[in-house]
Amino acid sequence: MKKKMIFSDFFKNNGVVMGCLLIGLVSFWLIFLIILPQLSMLDYSFRFNLPPAEVGGPKDVYTLSNYQHLIYGSDTTHQTYNTVDLKVFVRTIIAAMLVTIFNIFLCYPLAYFLGQSKGSGFVRLLVVLLIIPYWINEILRAFALRIIFGDSGLLNEALMFLHLTSEPIDFIRQDIALYAGLGYAYILLMLFPMYNVIESLDRNQIEAARDMGASWMRIHRRIVIPHAKPGIVSGATMVFMLSAGALAAPQILGGPSSLWFTQLVYQWFNDSLNWQQGAAYAIVLLASTIIIVLTVMKIFKVNMGDIGK
Amino acid sequence: MSSGVAVDLENITIRFGDFTAVKDANVNINGGDFFSFLGPSGCGKTTILRAVSGFLEPSEGRVLIGGNDMAGIGPNKRPTALIFQNLALFPLMKVWENIAFSMEVAGASAAERRKRADELLDMIALGGQGDKLPSELSGGQKQRVAIARALCANPDVLLLDEPLSALDLKLRQHMRTELREIQQRVGITFIYITHDQGEALTMSDNVAVMKAGVIDQIDTGHNIYDDPATPFVASFVGENNVFRGKVKSVSGNEAVITTNRSGDLLTRITPAQVGKLAVGDDAMMFIRPEALELAPRDADSKTTISANVINEEFEGNSFSVFLEGDGGKQIKMSVPNLGQDRISVRGENLSLRYDASNAVTMPAGELASE
Amino acid sequence: MSSANLIRIALGAYLLIFFSYLLGPLVVMSLTAFNSSSFPTVSPWACFSYEWFDVLFNDKHIRDGIYYSIVIGIGTVILSVSMGLAASIVLTQVWPKLRSTYYTMIIAPILIPGVVLGISTLVFWDRAGAFLGATDGSFLHGLFHNGIFLTILGQSSFIASYAMLVFVARLQRFDTGLTEAALDLGATHTQAFRKILLPFMRPAIASASVLAFLASFENYNTTTFTIIDYKTLTTVLAQKVRLGINPSISSLAFIIIVLTIFAALAFEAANRNKERKLAVRKGKASAEKSGVLPGFMTGNPAAIVLVLLAFVVIVLVGTAQKYSPEACKIQVREAKQVEIQQRIKELREARRIKDEARAAEEAKQPAQAPANAPQNSGAFGNVFAPGNLSEEEAPASDPAPSSGTGAFGNVFDPNNLNSE
Repeated sequence: MKKKMIFSDFFKNNGVVMGCLLIGLVSFWLIFLIILPQLSMLDYSFRFNLPPAEVGGPKDVYTLSNYQHLIYGSDTTHQTYNTVDLKVFVRTIIAAMLVTIFNIFLCYPLAYFLGQSKGSGFVRLLVVLLIIPYWINEILRAFALRIIFGDSGLLNEALMFLHLTSEPIDFIRQDIALYAGLGYAYILLMLFPMYNVIESLDRNQIEAARDMGASWMRIHRRIVIPHAKPGIVSGATMVFMLSAGALAAPQILGGPSSLWFTQLVYQWFNDSLNWQQGAAYAIVLLASTIIIVLTVMKIFKVNMGDIGK
Repeated sequence: MSSGVAVDLENITIRFGDFTAVKDANVNINGGDFFSFLGPSGCGKTTILRAVSGFLEPSEGRVLIGGNDMAGIGPNKRPTALIFQNLALFPLMKVWENIAFSMEVAGASAAERRKRADELLDMIALGGQGDKLPSELSGGQKQRVAIARALCANPDVLLLDEPLSALDLKLRQHMRTELREIQQRVGITFIYITHDQGEALTMSDNVAVMKAGVIDQIDTGHNIYDDPATPFVASFVGENNVFRGKVKSVSGNEAVITTNRSGDLLTRITPAQVGKLAVGDDAMMFIRPEALELAPRDADSKTTISANVINEEFEGNSFSVFLEGDGGKQIKMSVPNLGQDRISVRGENLSLRYDASNAVTMPAGELASE
Repeated sequence: MSSANLIRIALGAYLLIFFSYLLGPLVVMSLTAFNSSSFPTVSPWACFSYEWFDVLFNDKHIRDGIYYSIVIGIGTVILSVSMGLAASIVLTQVWPKLRSTYYTMIIAPILIPGVVLGISTLVFWDRAGAFLGATDGSFLHGLFHNGIFLTILGQSSFIASYAMLVFVARLQRFDTGLTEAALDLGATHTQAFRKILLPFMRPAIASASVLAFLASFENYNTTTFTIIDYKTLTTVLAQKVRLGINPSISSLAFIIIVLTIFAALAFEAANRNKERKLAVRKGKASAEKSGVLPGFMTGNPAAIVLVLLAFVVIVLVGTAQKYSPEACKIQVREAKQVEIQQRIKELREARRIKDEARAAEEAKQPAQAPANAPQNSGAFGNVFAPGNLSEEEAPASDPAPSSGTGAFGNVFDPNNLNSE
């Protein structure tokens, strides 16, 4: 009864034509581009990789084998663990967290500086400078770092010129290039949400606190950071999700022996042509990152509504 | 002149979920009338206006415009034009485009629209300003553009939702006169919403006073002021002194009330309540400040009140004397300034008299909050 | 030293580090585009050269990739902007109790890893085709396995959320009374939408479109799964970078960086100009007109920088027409020749006693060897030279001219253009 009223109100407010158009577009998006694709991927992840002729046949039944593969590998007796893939998974999650924390510390001072010094020409110039790398292709940014971190790259040349090292350091094999690249790739997604919330902080609050004798540290701990919390969590969520789900940076900057979890997914899909297995890995990635994000949001008491501000 | 179209509200009730915004309203508005709904904010008057304009359907009852039932007819199909509280001028359109918008959506050519817009601009004394943007106009000019825009649609009924509330006092008083003039010139029905009794009383042919979704009284401004139907109307429209008591005797349209402080007082029963007061009922008697005067020694005790002076204020054309009333309420007396130095001394006990025809009594009820 | 000074110095150092981290790699990458060395590097610096731009412009894969990126970008803009706009309008009207659930649903795609979105799109439409009974070769089967179709859907699924955020911000300032006023004046709902809401949303639609296009253009994670047998610029680049890096990618990056700077400055300049006009209108700033600069540049550093930058680019392109790295290459080569001849002389000295005639013959051969190196003298030239626009074949692929005879830059010789 109530729902019916809402719908009739909706069409009354928008007219039949516009109402149908709005509802149509939103439902197409939500149903055909988000919900059904996610559900069919979930469904896929519980199926065997069968040749086309057997799909829908008696062998086409639900199975947990794709998930078991992540834990036990091809060992059907479940005696040994799939240490290779599990290591990749754990490494991906932990490294993504570290990248996120690194970005928080790197961006906070700048966000504070930009947010609290209003509208001077210098600040506007800085903002323009910030936006420029934002629109350069992710691949090209990774490529830029590869030039710097390569064997005969600028960094090694510089270190050798300064006699800090005699042999070139293999930054790529050491994964230093990868972490630098991940930190680099999504840094602005951390900076801008922080900047937006800090900008909305009334400067008088800081001055009042200083007037009452609060130390610089205390001002940040008691006033700025609590105010900036939604922005920090919003930025951290995006950086974490994007780092954990990154594909370009690991492919270009990752060492040959160490993989990122998304690369495993990619391999199942494009190299092994086992979509079911790939879907299962993708589900694991999606579920674990979402659980982590929701947990963090719960701990810091931030709502979904703060994301994307 | 009165070619206007009548508007009738029949047993209108409007609910939002569990909340009843308007309860069983019956209003007949004559064609060509300037009709006002007067009430404090939140009393449901804007809701009624939105039901007339078609933005919402009443939960019960019918809206008739020119005798036609408006049920199921959207705002864009009704012969009404609404002037919004914030005017809602389209900020990205020029003034003339704003005015001729109703013709634009009806498919009129640009030349036709421009011609009509210029006519209306002349009418509202804004000739030659058509190419400005609304943001470049002053408050009063915007007001007039909003009126012109509404009139351009050739509505049968013009609905105005507190259109003057954003203006400063002087301009507001000026626009009252102007609105009334426009209404008399175009001769269509105006329905005006306001919480400002001054606006309602000066402009309207008839006024409906509303309280919490209920219409208490519909009458001319004069009658509403002189013969309020309920304690709410008496206390909401203009200033009034209230005296609580019990009915001692009734004869025709007169009654004697035993008040808590001033003994038995003679009063007139308000016309709407004649015959509804019985001996022993709780009653309220209202006397306007200007109806009180200092009593001569030999004044009739049935129309005399004595009270202690609390304070006196000089207001230029008059003095306001505040005295101790009953129930913590003050009694206010307004004395014209005829060159006196002062009227009273603080703490002094004064005797005040009134004319029984200027005191109205009705069954006790809710008062308007200050 | 006072602590305020210390803080200032620390802040300066921090800003320097932050911006070097952010911009340094881009600067280095841009420089490598101009080094003739076949590996992207700034040191050792060989010769200043435009040849990698040539390589870039002649790369068919990149050209195809740009073409499909633009096609997909346009499709994504149309789909995601309309879905985002619809979603934001619905958000303003949705039943309050449903609001937060609804918001979570339309914001979620931003947080779903792109890889997952790509996979789910691929899987779903494959299943949808099977469900509808589309057989191999049928239209539906073709559509549901078409890389462009799938990529537009996959990208739109999350880019629509970005667009939605832009619209929500703008809609918050919309007075719904305006729509009601239009309806009251007789407009239909569609007219009210077209004439009132849409014009109000126009700036937001413009910025959401730019945002959506750029997001689509640079997307990799989703696209790499959904693109199937097509390619976009990013997938081409990713493939190239994974297979082996060369400076033509740097030259592409350089072009993109310059375009971005242009766009950013133009945007900033336009903003300043608008602000200035507004200020003048409100009579706040009495126009302090200087006789030297045109009006739009007064008090508008971004506009000044923009004009300067445009000037620099014109000069750069201009020199590309005239400049040829061959001069430098010859120097390098000559230096090598001198070195070689020096050694030959020494050899000759040693062998003269044994065989004079043989030694003289040997001295000629090495001198010819370097002349066979391919000559990429074209630089930008063949792109910008007007006469070349209609020609498929780039003159840069001319057979190597013999060394020493002023062959370089003959591409730009006006006479040559006519004769070709």
